[in-house]
Amino acid sequence: MTEEPYRWLEAVANRREYVRDQLKGGSPAFAACLPGGILLLGVGAGNSKVFELFDRHALTGLGHPADLEKIRQAAIDAAHVEAFTRAPEDVSLRRLVGFGLSPQLKTNFEQIFSAPFLVELLLAEVGVEAGHDVLLRLHFDGAFQFQNQGAIVAASVPEAEAAAQTWLNRELNGKTNRADVAELLLQAWWCLTESKSFTEATPTEAERRDGWRAAAKGRVVEIAWLARTSPRLARYENLTLAQLGL
Amino acid sequence: MSDAPLIAGDFLALLANKSFSPLRTEALASAPVQTQATTVFAFHCAEGVLMAGDRRATAGNVIVTDRVDKIIEIDAGSLLAIAGVPATAFEMARVLQTSFEYYRRSQLQSLSLPAKVRALARLLRENLPMTMQGVGIVVPLFAGLDHSATPAKPQIFFYDPLGAQFQAVGHAASGSGSGTIRSILSYQERYGTPRPSQMNLAQAVQFALRLLVVASEFDSATGGVNPETQTFATIKLLGSAGVQTISAGQQAEFLRS
Repeated sequence: MTEEPYRWLEAVANRREYVRDQLKGGSPAFAACLPGGILLLGVGAGNSKVFELFDRHALTGLGHPADLEKIRQAAIDAAHVEAFTRAPEDVSLRRLVGFGLSPQLKTNFEQIFSAPFLVELLLAEVGVEAGHDVLLRLHFDGAFQFQNQGAIVAASVPEAEAAAQTWLNRELNGKTNRADVAELLLQAWWCLTESKSFTEATPTEAERRDGWRAAAKGRVVEIAWLARTSPRLARYENLTLAQLGL
Repeated sequence: MSDAPLIAGDFLALLANKSFSPLRTEALASAPVQTQATTVFAFHCAEGVLMAGDRRATAGNVIVTDRVDKIIEIDAGSLLAIAGVPATAFEMARVLQTSFEYYRRSQLQSLSLPAKVRALARLLRENLPMTMQGVGIVVPLFAGLDHSATPAKPQIFFYDPLGAQFQAVGHAASGSGSGTIRSILSYQERYGTPRPSQMNLAQAVQFALRLLVVASEFDSATGGVNPETQTFATIKLLGSAGVQTISAGQQAEFLRS
């Protein structure tokens, strides 16, 4: 099969379709830059969606728990070896993803006789000042995009993800309070999981508020905060809805 | 993504997997002149465990610097006080810092206090060849939070150079000036008012600074405290909520009061 380019292309296309199909129904994940740091949010089962990677780095995403775990471990291993052999300041998302995770994901995706990773990921690195943050969207095929501000979404359907991100960046404009931002991210989460439109006939704010509260019952809203300034090296902190007053 | 360590969450196993060795253990033909660190101690006070150390490093009769921090925050609930050869001791601190955080992040839970205490014992044991040659001896103190109690209870541990670990009841000291300090601490614990364990933060910091002043009178390798030259100690408090650093400014204030 691999000697015939057409059949290889077809096999890769089939894999893309297979991965997207497997990711359907995955709970979307979010990250947003604020003046004081980066807020990450996902709805899962507790310790299942949002993770600390290193001093200034965190990960969230959706997908198969075993694959998510493999990538989380690989990122933590790489970050700690880098920090130990050089310095904690040398650990950067660009290098971690560009030279480590992305090539590995791409290789796994295109080697059609091995299993692909069933994941869609968001990684965050808090900078010394606003505008220097790094939000990174890493796809199952190793493709990735960077941004330095605003909000970013990981969802299983690319079109819905793009619409949610556009809506969020418009709604979040000017909002600096963590509770307000978390509230909006949860509304976007509900709209995505319920396949509501972000462009036409978007649910009212009251519907969105009631919607996420009802949908999140029996699940764990996992929220993490990467603080821009802290007396400690580790900037990661888990937050609860109660701590945010939600 | 296949470089996982053999023992889950073990950073030393991960380093070995990547052919890194944090501590040198090969034999040397002749011993170099060692830079050494000196007086560190810890005692229980009313607000937790206070750990303090002078800031002098010496090599033979030469003062290398008076700006060494010998009390090191390993993580949010652990402190290490180093006495001995800084080259080895600082590397041990770095290994512990990375190991504890690596475990917490990778295993999604903190290392227990007994495991932290043993991790340092393991490093001391692995340093045995250097200790036996007399070129890398380290005799540290460790303070950590026991989370099996509510609220978390700070505990003090001390070690011998071979890695044996002991829990201190009231206090522990290490380094060339420790003899003086242990005597005063024992006296204060038995006959003093207030006893160190009853001292509030201001009293405990003042007591710690005075201990270092006395130690420096009997031990040339102990830096002591001199407010006129802004030379203070490194002092940290480990309470049930975590680590608090007592800055030079606060020390000056406590010393005046």
